[in-house]
Amino acid sequence: MARSSLAPTAGLAPRRPWWRVSAWKRGEYLAAAVFIAPGLIWFLGFMLYPLVYSFWMSLHDWKIRGPSEFVGLANYVRVFGDSVNLIALRNTVVYGVLSVPTQMFLGLMIALGLERLSRGKVLLRLIYYLPVISSWVVVSLMFMFLFNSEGLFNHVFGDVLGLVDPNTAWLNRASTAIPVIALLGVWKGLGWSMLIYLAALQGIPAELTEAARVDGANRAQVTRYVTVPLLKPTTLFIAVMLTIGAFQSFIQFYIITGGGPVHQTEVFLSYMYDQAFNFLDFGYASAIAWLLAALILAISLVQFRLIKSTYEY
Amino acid sequence: MRGKLVLASIALALITAASAQTITFWHTYSTGSGEEQTLLEKVIPQFEAENPGITVEAVGFPYEEFRQKLLTAFAGGVVPDLVRMDIIWVPEFADMGALERLDDYDGFAALRDGVFPGPLATNYWDGGYYGLPLDTNTQVMLYNADVISQPPTTFDELEALATELSDPAAEVWAFSVPGPYAWYLLPWIWSNGGAITDDAITTATGYLNSDASVEAVEKLVDWYERGLIAPTLNNTGLGAWEGLGAGEYLATQDGPWAYPSITAQYQDLNLQHALFPAGPAGSISIVGGEDIVMFADSPNKEAAWKFVQFMLSPWAQITMASTGQIPVIQSALEDPYIVEHPYYGVYLQQLQTAKPRTPHPAYSRIETIIQDAVQRVLLGELEVREALDQAAAQVDELLK
Repeated sequence: MARSSLAPTAGLAPRRPWWRVSAWKRGEYLAAAVFIAPGLIWFLGFMLYPLVYSFWMSLHDWKIRGPSEFVGLANYVRVFGDSVNLIALRNTVVYGVLSVPTQMFLGLMIALGLERLSRGKVLLRLIYYLPVISSWVVVSLMFMFLFNSEGLFNHVFGDVLGLVDPNTAWLNRASTAIPVIALLGVWKGLGWSMLIYLAALQGIPAELTEAARVDGANRAQVTRYVTVPLLKPTTLFIAVMLTIGAFQSFIQFYIITGGGPVHQTEVFLSYMYDQAFNFLDFGYASAIAWLLAALILAISLVQFRLIKSTYEY
Repeated sequence: MRGKLVLASIALALITAASAQTITFWHTYSTGSGEEQTLLEKVIPQFEAENPGITVEAVGFPYEEFRQKLLTAFAGGVVPDLVRMDIIWVPEFADMGALERLDDYDGFAALRDGVFPGPLATNYWDGGYYGLPLDTNTQVMLYNADVISQPPTTFDELEALATELSDPAAEVWAFSVPGPYAWYLLPWIWSNGGAITDDAITTATGYLNSDASVEAVEKLVDWYERGLIAPTLNNTGLGAWEGLGAGEYLATQDGPWAYPSITAQYQDLNLQHALFPAGPAGSISIVGGEDIVMFADSPNKEAAWKFVQFMLSPWAQITMASTGQIPVIQSALEDPYIVEHPYYGVYLQQLQTAKPRTPHPAYSRIETIIQDAVQRVLLGELEVREALDQAAAQVDELLK
């Protein structure tokens, strides 16, 4: 590749091997190399190398010191036979289904509302965006305390309002813990989809909405039949990004339930982390990581297909 | 000229490095507590004064992350010289080849003969000693003496007391088992006559799922379901210490570090100690504590060994005892500080019958299996016997 694009066109100059270039060109190359090097070294050392290395690990019964036994695809076979991975898949899907559409819908509503405001826009935008930049660890701990059986939620909705049993242990079973963690995900991620929608709204030509108004459409109809369809590419972009995020969620699960009790609230990364750093089964953990990457890739490809086929502009 | 200068400064740096050694010591003394303060402000300065040229860099970690930190450090080949680690991790790390065998070090025999045999045994692996005990502990019962005048001495007395005092509607529970963890569950199983494995650690079937083990777990689950003991058993509700402080829990089980920590936060609490309630097999608690171990990769073994010896000196042991660290050297027992201590007596008496956790490299996994089994019961998935039958079979696999 590099060779053909850099070599002079045949016939104009004698063909030289690529390394025999004029001093001037050499200087150019050197400058380019200097600029590329930091990024390239970082990429090779901290992304490509660990990636390849983790694949190598996934083919071994990996020992943290000393020789590791090559086991081929045995770790991958194990992933499919391990029922905890099924639980993780179920929890991830439930978490995604609960949190992704909610975040998108509420983000869109807030963006549309903010768009119409003439005052206080900046302040509200900041307030909605604040959870996005706050630390996952801190907000996870906060939710853990809120939903403890002796927490504020049970106090308000149980002791005071009488809507729930005040001794409910929300975080002790998957059926209640996953929705609680999804609620955290929505609260924390809302501001991000709002911001992307706000940016997209700027890009919708005013003539289109004005034309619709002239044709007699009311505000709701303009939103429903003009704005929202025009936002479709943005909607699908947000959907892809949030889905990837949902499949990679870790901190909130690891802190709030730790995957427990007995793996009931496990997601892929919490289980992978335990296998690697608690049981030192790095080969198996790497296999989980690679299969998760393949799963995310497959889902993203499907979503990209959808983007292509429904492009509106 | 410049080259010579550089060489000279490198040489100088090397000489200084050789004469001034720094040994790193990783530990889990609670950050900012009396333990860490005493270590940093009294013990280490004293050692450095006695051993000019050696500096000790002590690094504290939270207990929950410590094992992973050590494993990662070992995997990466960047290890501390010395570690104060939970006694139960020593076989695992020794088995991985991470630890230095200490038998042949100068003065080892004297140290070995001066410490209690129980804690010492936790360092023995594959024909040699891979560490020395540093402190020991066990769990006893701590109770709120303003409410409980006569602490229960048996399971039955505890049940009777709880029937009288516990009232979930008013958020009062007579006793809190702090969590569904092996560390808290095993004293109940042992006191009831149960076990994890046979003495030779070859099988769990017939021990972990024996009638006595099953009955012990059934009793706890039954008490929890009847609201006699706090929801902490199912890992929810206020933490055991906070519950005691808030007056919701009237008693709990814990180690010697609990009293200074709880009373520092809840100064009005009238906290007293008593022996762990006895079951049919007696009052059998669990041996905890820490060993001091040297990593095999340490480049400063000689200096590190000096620090090990220093930490086992009567002065260092008694100094650390003032912060809740029960000494492991026999001679310290007669020290007036220990003799006159307000509650070490209970712990020392409890230690007479306390049992160690299974000294096996796979203990971390065994522990997870036991905990999972109990949690399955608490979730209502399985009956106690089924859960422990399965757990015993799983542990058997690890012992093969």
